[in-house]
Amino acid sequence: MVVFSLLIINKAGGLVYSREFHAGLAKLSSNDLLILAGTFHGVHAITRSLVPDAVRPVQPSTSISASTSTSGVNSTSAPAFPVRPSGLEVLESSHFRLTCFQTLTGTKFLLLTEPAQPNVDVVLKKIYELYADYVMKNPFYTVEMPIRCQKFDTGLDAFVRVRG
Amino acid sequence: MVVYSFYIFDRHTECIYSRRWNPRPASSSSKASRPQSDIIANSGEPAPPQRKGLSREDDAKLIFGAIFSLRKLVQRLGGEDNHFLSYRTGEYKLHYYETPTRMKFVMVTDTKSNNLRVALHQIWANLYVEYVVKNPLSPIEHAGGVGVANELFEQGLERFVATVLA
Repeated sequence: MVVFSLLIINKAGGLVYSREFHAGLAKLSSNDLLILAGTFHGVHAITRSLVPDAVRPVQPSTSISASTSTSGVNSTSAPAFPVRPSGLEVLESSHFRLTCFQTLTGTKFLLLTEPAQPNVDVVLKKIYELYADYVMKNPFYTVEMPIRCQKFDTGLDAFVRVRG
Repeated sequence: MVVYSFYIFDRHTECIYSRRWNPRPASSSSKASRPQSDIIANSGEPAPPQRKGLSREDDAKLIFGAIFSLRKLVQRLGGEDNHFLSYRTGEYKLHYYETPTRMKFVMVTDTKSNNLRVALHQIWANLYVEYVVKNPLSPIEHAGGVGVANELFEQGLERFVATVLA
């Protein structure tokens, strides 16, 4: 198993974390990585708006009004969570595969792996757990800012390198 | 496998052919009245009501913007010889093939299909080259899509999607 690198993009499109585990992809300067993160953020938004009409998720506001049309006051006072198109999840290229996991709050985890890497979503879920434990629970961490948490680094190393 | 749409972009970034298929008529009555497919050159009807302010031309431009950026991103990360193949979202999958002359072939399908790079290559070699490039009446540059949407090409594409990609 080869995991090339991990990028974390905050909900505004800024790069807050980048880590290389294996060499193999081009070495990018931190400036290039920032551009890449911003570009990906924009493309992700475009791919969400390109959903074909046949598979476009039905918005809960219309489905609620259709199913519970009599209790109109209740349905407006308790809005359901909107179903949104997911946006780019897996990007395949001849040298690598990029898997994107977006949390409900808009943070994106990008994992660059080999093209034939199995079970990437499991790895991403585990990384999300590490992020929740060591970054979000860190009292000195400011949200949406670059991540500098040593425990997160060591946790990632232990998890990704051991599996490798 | 379900094919939703197919686009060709020329090397001047212009969409010279686009086609949509509506595989299963949606249950809602508003969608049922929509035409089966259309070509960008003669699309005069208004966009479907639920797409606020987005016409088909806008869709083609958005797709071009997305694949252009992703192509650059992939080349920057993996080197010059790294090709962008496809991407998948929760709802659809977009396949990409670029010819040596920088023509870009894009197909949007459901998420369960395998990589269609070979199929797009076949469309280019067996349909586009045969019926568009070799057509003596067709211009060299297809500005505005002139010369691409001829009868033989459309029939061939229809048959290809119906048989090979069914």
